[in-house]
Amino acid sequence: MKGLNKDVADFALKYASGKKVEYAEVRAHSEKTDSLMMKNGVLDAYVSAVDSGFCVRILAEGGIGFASTNKWTKDEAKVIVDIAYKYAKMAKRKDKIVFAEEKSLKANWKVDEKKRVENVSPETRIETWMEMDKALVSQGINVAARMFSFGTSLTEKYFVNTEGSVISSYVPRIGAYAFITVVQNGKPEQSYKQFGYAGGWEALDRWKLTEEMIKEAKVLQKVIKEAKAIKPGKMDLVCGSEVAGIAAHESCGHPMEADRILGREMSQAGRSFIYPNGSFWLETKIGSSVVTIVDDPTVKNSYGYYEYDDEGIKARPRYLYKNGVINEFLHNRETAAKLDIRSNGASRAINYDREAIVRMANTFVQPGDMNEEEIFEDVKQGVYMKSFTEWNIDDKRFNQRYVGREAYWIEDGELKHPLARPVIETTTQNFWSSVDAVSKKVEYDAATCGKGDPQQGMPVYTGGPIIRLRGVHVK
Amino acid sequence: MSELLVRTEEIVKRSKALGADEVIAKTTFGRYRQTRFSNNQIDISVAWNDYVTDVVLAWKKRVVGTQIRNFQNVDQTVKRLFELSKVSKENPMYGGFAKGKFRYHKSKADEALVNLDNPVEYVFDAVEAAKKEAGPDSETGGILLTSLSDICLVSSEGPMGEDHRSAIELSIRAFSQREASGHGVECGSALKGFDAARAGRKAGEIAKQAKDPKAGVEGRYDVIFDPLFGGSLLGMWGSMTSAYSVMIQMSIFVDKLGQRVASDNVTLRDSPAPYSVANRVFDDEGVPAKENVLIRKGLLKTYLHNTSTARIFKTETTGNAGIISPTPWNLEMDSGDMSREELFSEVKHGLYLTNTWYTRFQNYATGDFSTIPRDGIFLIEEGEIKESWKDIRLSDNALKMLNNIIGLSKERQHVHWWSEADPPSLVPYILMKDVRITRPR
Repeated sequence: MKGLNKDVADFALKYASGKKVEYAEVRAHSEKTDSLMMKNGVLDAYVSAVDSGFCVRILAEGGIGFASTNKWTKDEAKVIVDIAYKYAKMAKRKDKIVFAEEKSLKANWKVDEKKRVENVSPETRIETWMEMDKALVSQGINVAARMFSFGTSLTEKYFVNTEGSVISSYVPRIGAYAFITVVQNGKPEQSYKQFGYAGGWEALDRWKLTEEMIKEAKVLQKVIKEAKAIKPGKMDLVCGSEVAGIAAHESCGHPMEADRILGREMSQAGRSFIYPNGSFWLETKIGSSVVTIVDDPTVKNSYGYYEYDDEGIKARPRYLYKNGVINEFLHNRETAAKLDIRSNGASRAINYDREAIVRMANTFVQPGDMNEEEIFEDVKQGVYMKSFTEWNIDDKRFNQRYVGREAYWIEDGELKHPLARPVIETTTQNFWSSVDAVSKKVEYDAATCGKGDPQQGMPVYTGGPIIRLRGVHVK
Repeated sequence: MSELLVRTEEIVKRSKALGADEVIAKTTFGRYRQTRFSNNQIDISVAWNDYVTDVVLAWKKRVVGTQIRNFQNVDQTVKRLFELSKVSKENPMYGGFAKGKFRYHKSKADEALVNLDNPVEYVFDAVEAAKKEAGPDSETGGILLTSLSDICLVSSEGPMGEDHRSAIELSIRAFSQREASGHGVECGSALKGFDAARAGRKAGEIAKQAKDPKAGVEGRYDVIFDPLFGGSLLGMWGSMTSAYSVMIQMSIFVDKLGQRVASDNVTLRDSPAPYSVANRVFDDEGVPAKENVLIRKGLLKTYLHNTSTARIFKTETTGNAGIISPTPWNLEMDSGDMSREELFSEVKHGLYLTNTWYTRFQNYATGDFSTIPRDGIFLIEEGEIKESWKDIRLSDNALKMLNNIIGLSKERQHVHWWSEADPPSLVPYILMKDVRITRPR
């Protein structure tokens, strides 16, 4: 493998195995990144770099120690193994940590590229964004401020552990972020869009970047010119896939992370409304029977795609809420052992210098059986929140809020005028219990999920079909 | 001259020899140690060593960058970088890197931190202190982080210097009940004066007071913000003073230089002072980092600049580079003339909010946003804490809030927590009128 020194990684594992460890693993990681930053039509900078290094995680005396370095020498390997071993023993835990049982396996997996990212020149990358910017500002809309960042990463990993597992992987990813401000009559409206893909340069064909950004600018202009304030009250709310997706991520994916449920994130990302001996646990009802939310790392070319997690566990879809019932948490080996089950492969780290923790991959509402027209035609008065701007949720993942970016008033099944930033502020239980209809087609949006300390921004998809909520308070 | 500086300078020389117009190389040798704990036990201790040189090069106003790890493949990497500059695009807004020789304050990493062998004892101190306040059955979690970094910067334009930084920070959250929690932090650049138990005590005290919370009530309130919550607010306001944020309109301060943006008791500075966990002696162009007054008595005095943004705004760099984006280092709000107790006595019917998270904007230019108070949320009646609340959201406007500050305490605390109270700051208790509180339905 380029960028990785397998010999040093193997040496580190062998050296660790010579100590009184209950478990040890070495994860080597090499990432070639190319990124460009543009603002207001000007290329600020183009940055190209390779980062590679490795980490050692040791379980000894029921504690965990972790150390990493980007110095590829056997002497350095010894140093970090010694530190990780010392740190593991330093924990002096009353409740000893154990990992759920796993068999050893050998695997080599990669994501294919139809158009190889490495073959795309910097000139082409720059021109792609310059052209998009030119097209965007030539629409007769005052897009007063534009900020784009765009990057590719080619990631190789090599994982070995004391149980005999050996896993190699290669994942190319392409990601982009755009933030625009449209100003009309002195009034600004803003929007951001994120794009993400695991695979080759063919991502650009799928994204339809220019089209999407122009559409976004037109939406903002329309909001400024035509949007009316909503009269607050109880009404039906139709959520577009973007809104269904963020709700699935925030109020299903996060509270179903077993490390939060068991308290390991209590000081940062928080806990969960789901906890042992609480009101909500496995098999408890949380939504209506049409609500099924899945987290699936195996969606081809998704931003959150992987075949084996960073503990070497084979990836599979996880049905989190199934037919409105809490069904399965997201686990790593540590949390799975605490609940006496097997890991379902949700352990991920953003780089070699970060521990792998429980993460989502691609979290989305499963499609239902209704046409989009049927969803709308039955709404007498309500709101269609196609996309969102401000959003947040409390740290037990129960009190959430989504503010519409592109939103319309619905009357007798017809879309009427745009609405100025309508708001739904409600609980997880009320949101998912109010859903009575789900459309057939799932769409995905790329996102960077935040968790961990230090923060590990993880590529994920959010997504869903169009969903309809009955009788919720919109303001 | 240290070996690190010599090798960093060599990268600059080789880049210049290839034909680069301007080059900056900054080498960081960082050693970071973190212990994470939850449920009163240590979950993991982590060490990461980072050996990296950031190289930025300009050729005919084309700006490109890369990283060199542990001084490996220097020739190859620099050549590739220079080739990249040739196919990149001119940045007409590029104003060059800072020129001149500068004298820097001497910096020295704290010896006690360098020699700290077993930091987990501080975790145990904090946990015990929190449990003493919140009760033996209370649960705590958090992190202890120590960082030591040696930084060498060499610019082809003259600046050359070394900085030796150290920092220690502890963050602890205590739960006296499932929905009753408090948060405390302790931060500094040296071990002297670092009191882990103080953070634990504060977390525990708040958690104890927060017991049996009731659902909050929507409305507009006078609010006292604890310094930890204030750290999030300062981070929000401070980041918006970056000229980059202004240029892309992610700021409430667009076109407001010289204008009133806050009530007249507000003075906001950026200062990379020695006490701060973000202490530093120069910015990423090698310009001496210094104190800048951002808002003086309510008037917006300056944006934060690097050389390029300063040129666009026809002013001088403030020593806050970021090659692309100027950034605040350590924000300070000037203290007021009231004690914490006097501040509380001003509130007839209001709230005391101790911490927050998940701040998100619907429009940065207008300042409309919301954030979610967490940990202790208290109703104040006639200056006294009356009851504990939960499940509320602060839904308001960042500019309006700055203008509604009506009182500041004499005492201030240096705070930094995760990515919420970030960048680090020095914050008094803040009394603000007419803050809008909403709740879920």
